[in-house]
Amino acid sequence: MLDKLFYSEKGSFLQALHPLAALVYLGTFLALALAFTHPLYLLGILIVLILALWLAEGLEAWEGCLKAALLMMLLVMIINPLVVRAGDTVIWHGPGIPVFGRLTVSLEALCYGAVMSVRLLDIISVFCLYNLTVHPDRALNLFSRFAGKSVLVISLATKILPAMAWDLERIRSVQQVRGVDFGKGTFKEKIKKYSSVVNILLLSSLESSMETAESMQARAFGSGPRTCYSRSLWRPRDTLVVSCCAAALAAALWGLLHGFGRYTFYPQLDYLIDGSGTVAVLLAVMSSLSVPVIAGWGWRRWHCLKSKI
Amino acid sequence: MFKIENLKYYYPGSERPALDGISLEIGEGEFVLVSGASGSGKSSLARVLAGLIPDFYGGRFGGGVYFQGRDIRAMDRRKLARQVGMVFQDPEKQLVMTGVEAEMAFGLENLGLTQKEMFRRVAEVMSFLGLTELRHRFTAGLSGGQKQKLVLAAVLAMQPQTLILDEPTSQLDPVAAEDFFNLVKRLNEETGFTVVLTEQRLERCFHLADRVIIMEEGRVAVDGSPEQAARWAAGSGKPLVPPVARFFSALGVPSPPVTVKGGRRLLMRSLGGRALWGGPGPGGPPASSSKARAPVLEVKDLWFTYPGGGEALQDINIMVGAGEFVAVLGENGAGKSTLLKVVAGLLRPGRGRVLMMDGGRLTEKRGRYPGRRVAYLSQNPNDYLFQDTVEEELLFTLKNFGMEDGGIVGELLEDLQLGRHRWANPRDLSSGERQRVALASVLVTGPDLLLLDEPTRGLDYGLKAGLGGFLSRRAESGTSVVLVTHDVEFAAEYATRVIMMFAGRVVSDGSPHEVLGRSFFYSTQIGKLCRGFCDGILTFSEAVERIGPLFFKKKLSGSSH
Repeated sequence: MLDKLFYSEKGSFLQALHPLAALVYLGTFLALALAFTHPLYLLGILIVLILALWLAEGLEAWEGCLKAALLMMLLVMIINPLVVRAGDTVIWHGPGIPVFGRLTVSLEALCYGAVMSVRLLDIISVFCLYNLTVHPDRALNLFSRFAGKSVLVISLATKILPAMAWDLERIRSVQQVRGVDFGKGTFKEKIKKYSSVVNILLLSSLESSMETAESMQARAFGSGPRTCYSRSLWRPRDTLVVSCCAAALAAALWGLLHGFGRYTFYPQLDYLIDGSGTVAVLLAVMSSLSVPVIAGWGWRRWHCLKSKI
Repeated sequence: MFKIENLKYYYPGSERPALDGISLEIGEGEFVLVSGASGSGKSSLARVLAGLIPDFYGGRFGGGVYFQGRDIRAMDRRKLARQVGMVFQDPEKQLVMTGVEAEMAFGLENLGLTQKEMFRRVAEVMSFLGLTELRHRFTAGLSGGQKQKLVLAAVLAMQPQTLILDEPTSQLDPVAAEDFFNLVKRLNEETGFTVVLTEQRLERCFHLADRVIIMEEGRVAVDGSPEQAARWAAGSGKPLVPPVARFFSALGVPSPPVTVKGGRRLLMRSLGGRALWGGPGPGGPPASSSKARAPVLEVKDLWFTYPGGGEALQDINIMVGAGEFVAVLGENGAGKSTLLKVVAGLLRPGRGRVLMMDGGRLTEKRGRYPGRRVAYLSQNPNDYLFQDTVEEELLFTLKNFGMEDGGIVGELLEDLQLGRHRWANPRDLSSGERQRVALASVLVTGPDLLLLDEPTRGLDYGLKAGLGGFLSRRAESGTSVVLVTHDVEFAAEYATRVIMMFAGRVVSDGSPHEVLGRSFFYSTQIGKLCRGFCDGILTFSEAVERIGPLFFKKKLSGSSH
C-alpha cells in the first residue's frame, strides 16, 4: 500500500513535465486553495485535482490520503461550530461548559467548518498529486543550484526514511524471536520494548552513516565548489502548462480584487452565486487549470500529440 | 603507479598496527588481488591507496605512499579522486541519491564539471555497463547486484585510472558476484584500468588477477603470481586459495592450476583421460535419512503469498529430523528466506501447516511468536546487538523467556570463542565476532531447531570453517540446523542434507552427494573438477583421499617408465 503513495514512473503527461512547470502547476492549485474562501471555487479546484489524479493513475493513493484526511476534516467540522459564535442562525443550544460558557451551534459556523474541510482536502490532494507526479531527485535538483548542501541532506533523508521503516520491521521481528512480546505488558513496558528496537536502529544507522560518509569522501564530496547535474528539458508542453497557470492566476487575482472568490459566512451566509461575475471567474479559473488535464487525456489517447508537445 | 615504502599505520586508539612495515609497488594496468583473513589489514591497505587513511580515519601513520611519483598525502583531494576510485563492501551504504542517474552524477558534481561534460560521462558509462534501462529507477528498488554495479558506474564516471575494490561482492549472491567480477576483468582488459581488489571469496576471482598479495597481521606474507600464492598457501596450510589450487598444491604439483578448466586438463594428462574410479556414482553415499531420526519439524502443504506480490512458497513439504544439518540452496527470490521466516513463526502461512515436536508428537504452533524452542539468526547480526556487554545480550533473551542462567551463558561463550569478550560491548567487536554473539543470543535458550539465514555472508575461510564446525557439533548433539545459503562449498562440507529451491518450490532434496553431485552448475569447484574422472566427490578432503593415491600411483608409474 505504502508504495502507491510514492512516485513511480508511469509515463503520464504530468510526469513528463519539466519539474519547474510541474511545481508551478501544483503551486497554482495550492495558492488558489489558500486564496479562495468561496465554496464553489474550492469545490471547482477539487474537481480539477481529482481529474488530474485520475489521469496520473493516482486515485487509489488519493483514497488512502482521503481516509487519513477524513478524521481531520471531521474534527474541523465539529470543533469550528462549537467554538465560533459569530453566526446568527443558531440551530442548537447546548449545555453550559466552564470557561467556554454555553455551547451554541450556528448554521454559519457549520457551513464554514464544512468549506474549510474542503480546502483542507484541496491541499492534501495537491500534496498527493505532487508525490505521484514529481520525481524527488528532479524537484530537489531545481533547488540545488541555490542550496546544494540542504538539498543533499533532504535527498539523503528521503532515501533513508523508507529504509528505516523497513529496518524497524526487521529488528522488531528479531526481538520477537528473542522472546519480546510487543502485545503484552503495561504501557510503560511496551514503551521500553519499542525503545530497544529504536536503540538498535539508531546504533546501526550511526555505524552505517560513517560508511556513507566515507563513500562520499572517496567521491570528492566537499573537495571544492560543486556543480549541478540536470537533465530536464523545457518543451512546448511546459510553456503550455505555465501559460495556463498564469491565466488562472490572473483571472483569480482579477476576481479577488473585484470581490469574486471570497464568501461571507458571518454573521449570515451570503448568496452562493452573487451575479454572473462569480460564475464567469470560476469558469475562467477552472478551464485554465483544466487545460493540462485535457492535454494529458489527449496525450494518453493520441500518440501524435505526445510528439507534438 | 603506486609505491609504498615501509608503511606503518595504527587506527586511532589502537596499540596494534593495522599495517606493519609494508613495502610494495603496483604497476600501471595491473590486476592485483589482495587476500587474507579478516583483520589482516587488506581493507586498510585499500583505504591507504584511495587516500582515505589517514585523511578520513585519523590515527598514526608512518612511511611513504606515492601515486605516480607524488606523495599521496600532499595531493589535492579532488585531483586524487579523479585518479583513484574506490568501491566498498556494502552497496546499500554507498548510495547517496534517490535516483539512479542522480547517483551517477554525484561524483561529477563534486568534481565541479560542466553540464556538457557530465552528460557525456554519464551517457558513456551507462551504455558501457548496460544501465540505461535503469536510468529512471529509484536506487531503493534495485537488486543488490544492480546497486553495486551502480556504485561502480558512479565511480567509473569520474574516469579514474585506478580502481580500488574492497570486497565488493561480499554482500552479493554468487551470480551477481560473478557478473561483477567479469565486468571488472573487462574493464581491466579493455580499458587498461589498474585494479586492486581485496577479496575473501577467492574461487571466483583468483584466476582473474595478474598478481596476488596475501596479508597476515598487517604484513605482506606473499606477493607473487596466483600459482606462487597457491603454493605458499598450501605449504603453510592456509585455506586462502580456491579449492582447486589447494587440491593440486596438496598433491605437490609445482605450479598448481587455479581454474577448473586448468585443473581438468592436468587431471586428464595425469590420469590418462578416462574415468578411473566409478566411486559411488552421482548418487553418492546414502543420505542420513530424516525418516530414521525422530522428527522435530514438519512442514505440510505450505503456501505463502506476499501482499501484492507473487506466491513465494508453493506446496512445500519437508520433514526435518533431530540432529539433521540441512542446507537450503537456490537463487535469489527462490523463497528460501521466506521459508525460514514462516518456520520461525515470523510470517503466517497462507495455506498449510508448520508442525513442531512437542511432548512426543507433532503439533501446530500456537500464537504469533516462535517461542524458545526455535532459534532464528537473520542475515544482519547487528539487528541483535544493543546491550552494553556480550553477557547481557544472552541474559536479555533468557529473561524474556523467564529462564535462569544455569551456567549456559559461560559455556556457550566459551564454545563460540567469545569467552574473553564476555564483558566487552558487542558493537566494539569484529563482524565475525558480532555474528557469533547474535548466534549465542538465540542459542542460549537451548532450542531444538536452529534456523540461520545466510550465515556465511562476508566470512573468510577461517571463520566459515569455525562456524561450520560449531554448527556440526550442535547438530551432533541433537539440535536440528536449517540454514539458507548461497555457499555451495559450505553446504557440501558441513550439511548432512541439501534442499534445492526454485521459484517457491522444492526441486531437489537429499544428501549433498545426491543433490550437488547431480547438479551441473550448483556444484562445488572440486565437484566440477572431478566430474567424469571420479564422480561422487564434492569436497577437498574427499578429493585428496580418493584421487590423491591414484595421482601419485600414476606419477610413480610414469617416472619408473
